[in-house]
Amino acid sequence: MASPNSAQTALDLLVLTILSRRSPLHGYGIASAIQELSEEALRVEEGSLYPALHRMEEAGWIAAEWVVTENKRRARIYRITRAGSKQLTAETQRWNSFSNGVARVLRHA
Amino acid sequence: MSWLSRLRNALRPQRLDEELADEMRDHMERRAARLCAEGWEPDEARRQAQISFGNVTKLREQSREMRLWAALESMLQDTRYAWRGLRKGPAFAVTAVLSLGLAIGANTAIYSIVDAAMLRPLPVPEPERLVTLAAPSIDQPGSKKAEERESFSYPVYEQFRAAAGDSAHLILVGYPNRVEAQGQKPGAPVEKVTREFVSGDAFATLRVPPAVGRLFSSEDDRVPGGHPVAVLSHDYWQRRFHADRAVVGQSLRLAGKTYYIIGVAREGFFGIEPGKFVDVWVPAMMYDKEAFTNPGWGWFRIAGRLAPGATREELQARLQPSFHFQQEETIKRYSTMPPAIQKQFRELALRVHSAASGPSKFRQTFARPLWIVFSVAAAILFIACSNVASLLLARFTARSAEMAMRVSLGAGRRRLVRQLLTESLLLSALAGCLGWLVARAATPALVGMLSRKEDPVQFALAMDTQVLLFCAGLSTLATVFFGLLPAWQAAGAQPMSALRGASGQAGKLRMGRFFVGVQVAFAFCLVMAGASFLFSLRNLFTVDTGFNAHGVAVIGISSDLGKILTPNEVQRSLTRMEQLRDKMKALPGVQETAAAPWAIFDNSYWIEQVILPGKAPSEREELFYHISPGYFSALRTPLLSGRDFGIHDLHATKVVPVIINQAFARRYFGADNPLGRTFQHPSGPTLVNHQVIGVAANAHYDDLRREPEPMVYAPLDGTANFSLYVRSALDLGSIARLVERETKALGSGMRVQEITTLDTLVGNSVLREKLLAGIGGVFALLGLLLAAIGLFGLLNYSVARRTKEIGIRAALGARRSELVLLVLKDLAAMMGAGLLAGLAGSLGAMTLLQSLLFGIKPADPLVIATAMSVFLFAAFAAGVLPANRAAGVDPMIALRQD
Repeated sequence: MASPNSAQTALDLLVLTILSRRSPLHGYGIASAIQELSEEALRVEEGSLYPALHRMEEAGWIAAEWVVTENKRRARIYRITRAGSKQLTAETQRWNSFSNGVARVLRHA
Repeated sequence: MSWLSRLRNALRPQRLDEELADEMRDHMERRAARLCAEGWEPDEARRQAQISFGNVTKLREQSREMRLWAALESMLQDTRYAWRGLRKGPAFAVTAVLSLGLAIGANTAIYSIVDAAMLRPLPVPEPERLVTLAAPSIDQPGSKKAEERESFSYPVYEQFRAAAGDSAHLILVGYPNRVEAQGQKPGAPVEKVTREFVSGDAFATLRVPPAVGRLFSSEDDRVPGGHPVAVLSHDYWQRRFHADRAVVGQSLRLAGKTYYIIGVAREGFFGIEPGKFVDVWVPAMMYDKEAFTNPGWGWFRIAGRLAPGATREELQARLQPSFHFQQEETIKRYSTMPPAIQKQFRELALRVHSAASGPSKFRQTFARPLWIVFSVAAAILFIACSNVASLLLARFTARSAEMAMRVSLGAGRRRLVRQLLTESLLLSALAGCLGWLVARAATPALVGMLSRKEDPVQFALAMDTQVLLFCAGLSTLATVFFGLLPAWQAAGAQPMSALRGASGQAGKLRMGRFFVGVQVAFAFCLVMAGASFLFSLRNLFTVDTGFNAHGVAVIGISSDLGKILTPNEVQRSLTRMEQLRDKMKALPGVQETAAAPWAIFDNSYWIEQVILPGKAPSEREELFYHISPGYFSALRTPLLSGRDFGIHDLHATKVVPVIINQAFARRYFGADNPLGRTFQHPSGPTLVNHQVIGVAANAHYDDLRREPEPMVYAPLDGTANFSLYVRSALDLGSIARLVERETKALGSGMRVQEITTLDTLVGNSVLREKLLAGIGGVFALLGLLLAAIGLFGLLNYSVARRTKEIGIRAALGARRSELVLLVLKDLAAMMGAGLLAGLAGSLGAMTLLQSLLFGIKPADPLVIATAMSVFLFAAFAAGVLPANRAAGVDPMIALRQD
């Protein structure tokens, strides 16, 4: 995993969080959920979402499978794995301490 | 993602592309639908969706790489890392790859022979339904004990065919033998080919199709002497006729008869006997006419194919009554047969063997030696693996600081083991490649060791997938054996202690000792086996043969006469032999010549019962051998009393004079003077009278392993083919030219067939022992070398580890000799257990090998002493450098270390 404060880590954290609450979801669903939950503050670029999804799948944090949609098309849906949940806990803690740190600096500087 | 889907991705990238495209399209459609719902025009909504998605191709590319390469990448990374590691220690890498490669190569080479000779089924459809017939051999004193009798006569064959009925189809398959062949083209060379007689239905029954023309049918095998047709093997057709389809219809001279070629058998079919490549098949009816009526002529094997549903037991039950009837006939034919032998004949039970991989003389002679060689090769592999394991252990220990660092940085033990195993796998992959090359080169050489010019052994040694798999499997197995334990141990590095430099390395040293012990034990077994085989061969060569083979050439001469000679022809052939002898003897440099129907040590026999006046025929059958005058002086076999044959003895009819050897004299005449005594031997319905005119010293006839047998030398008789012994100071080439010239000058149809030396013939009789001594010796040396390397490595490591201790001792005034002793003690401790285990193991193995050894006791003091001293010498050599290093430790430097 890259440095704890990179944009990549943040995206992973978001995706894992979404999947841990509303699994399973397809890629579009994940993107919309992030947008919705952040009240339009965060917009996920598809150009970074899919590589991130595939990277996390490779790392074993999420698992994907093909389903057939209501209009008879193939859709790929993702769910979080046990390794992913562990990762999520660890990352959340790290993120919290990081953002607390940043917040403290902002407050007291 | 699972391994399986990764593999699928790598193998079918197209499918991966489709999947990615599907996923992207699905996403875009959903967004467009949402935009539509928010009130956009459908077309505009799609466009917007696409814009927000950006460069789809690039995105696809990225994802694709991610999913396809991640796995491969980590593997490649491990491999690159391992490669760098190996390059950092080139000496280690070269030693490991060489020793493993040689071991894998030896195993692969031997496996490919074992596979071709014993395991692989015949290349015909449903080989498991093929059978051969055999009878247990009769245990008769004096005659050579054969494993089984598989020769049958034509009348017997016909009875069996009728008795088998619809349970099996029986065919006749002759023994492959070497004859002269010449094509029809002008100036075509005369060469020796392997010919085999088969019944007309043999190919159809074996289900071998033609490659060109047609093969025999029953129509080609009806009238004795009436079917001069021949079928070529694919191999011979390509070799001699350059795969020319026009050979069909051409003539071929075979052993003086003209045949017409009717076809070529399918590629890859060489006959049913592994180890023999048949070049030409001819119909059984082309054999000598007498062979079809005389039940005493066993000249072929009977093979067959079981009908669907029939079993071997069923076939046996059908044939047994007919077989029993034939035995009774045999007993009637031999009126002088002793009752004990008659009883054996009556109780014989026919055997029906599976012939799925064909009957083979080679297999009978070499099965046990080959398995022994195979286990010797396996032992070498064990040694090589232990050797590499101990080297790896030392190497990993040297890297323990690095391991500890990685462990403390969070690398899992499993990950480290994987890393280290990759290194081992890379080693064994390299070794496997080397082994493959070694095997390719060694296999033909090995088959060459088993082969003789007059009796070539050939195998279809396809270095095929099965052998390749064996080689690869062996390499992998080796990795597990030598790589796993050290890797596991190394990866279990305790970060704290390792980083502090105070190693918890006692365990590693213990494991190192274990591996060295394994090497010592196996290597000692190999040295013991090698020593016994070498001593055994030496014992055979120092056996007093009773003749002096050195300087004697043996020339096989054929003539245009048939197998059965008329009295007239007998006289003519005798005159020719005498003429040739005289001519040769008159040449400068030639000391003596002698003629005989065949040479000794050539696996030809004439045995007869002996009838003393007023006594019953002997139970034993004794060896008789026809010789010309001059035989005893040509071979330097001492004539102890009486006289040699003269020319007039060759024409004696009423009482045939004979010379007997000491063993015969002792058995039949005891302490009496045998000169002038008479005896008879049965010859068909009549008896032949003999009178003893001389006694010769005992001499070996065909087997150095047994005591010389009783023998009767009778005066030479006329035969179509004969062997000429020439004792001279000339080399073989000159003798060949001289004999060629003289036979030409004499004319009368004599031809030189083959020229060899008596030394070669005697040497051929111990081919098996030579093979075992050669391979045993080489492998013992190899094992010794590997074990020495292992010992050296561990000692060196142990000295390095104890540098501080040694330094302190040196500082306290220990002398050089004491320091050297310290190392030697270490050496003794390492070897002790291994040596004991090796001694116990090899003594156990010795009892198994006993039947292949000659003049070696199960616990032979000479062998053990030799093996011990060779081994201790090697161990000492391995210890010299480390001991020197210990003695040279400078206390100041040693104590300042760390």
